[in-house]
Amino acid sequence: MAETIEEKIKGYRTAPFDARFPNTNQTRNCFQNYLDYHRCNKALSARDQDTAPCDWYQRVYKSLCPMSWVGKWDEQIESGNFPGKI
Amino acid sequence: VLVHTAFDLIPLFIFIGGGATMSALYLGRLALRNPDVSWDRKNNPEPWNNLEPTQQYKLFKVNMDYSKLKKNGPDF
Repeated sequence: MAETIEEKIKGYRTAPFDARFPNTNQTRNCFQNYLDYHRCNKALSARDQDTAPCDWYQRVYKSLCPMSWVGKWDEQIESGNFPGKI
Repeated sequence: VLVHTAFDLIPLFIFIGGGATMSALYLGRLALRNPDVSWDRKNNPEPWNNLEPTQQYKLFKVNMDYSKLKKNGPDF
């Protein structure tokens, strides 16, 4: 029943239902997955582990988020302006 | 103007009072249970993350089996 994360990423079609965000407005779902991707990368690379499982979060936020938001946040991260907590 | 006692107005009070109570209760549910509301930003910054994958917040659901859900992403 429990697939490995590689299998889940390989069989990915779209962002699955998330009980934390049951309503029509999925803004927070998008932002949370973006944050989780960067937090996961930071946490796993701090422990010298492979960050490949974090790609799940990237697939989800790429499905959910408008590209302009992702672009803006990526720029903010590069310039150190990103308002979220990573 | 016809003379009346307050007793005639009791059904009015019941319905208005009931409505006001229900509104207040729903506002209370929103204030205390809504996962978008955080009263303590230092200790509970992202309250929606406290929901279990199988936990239902909405009052009614249609075509959604919460018991079959599991956590989506990997732990880190």
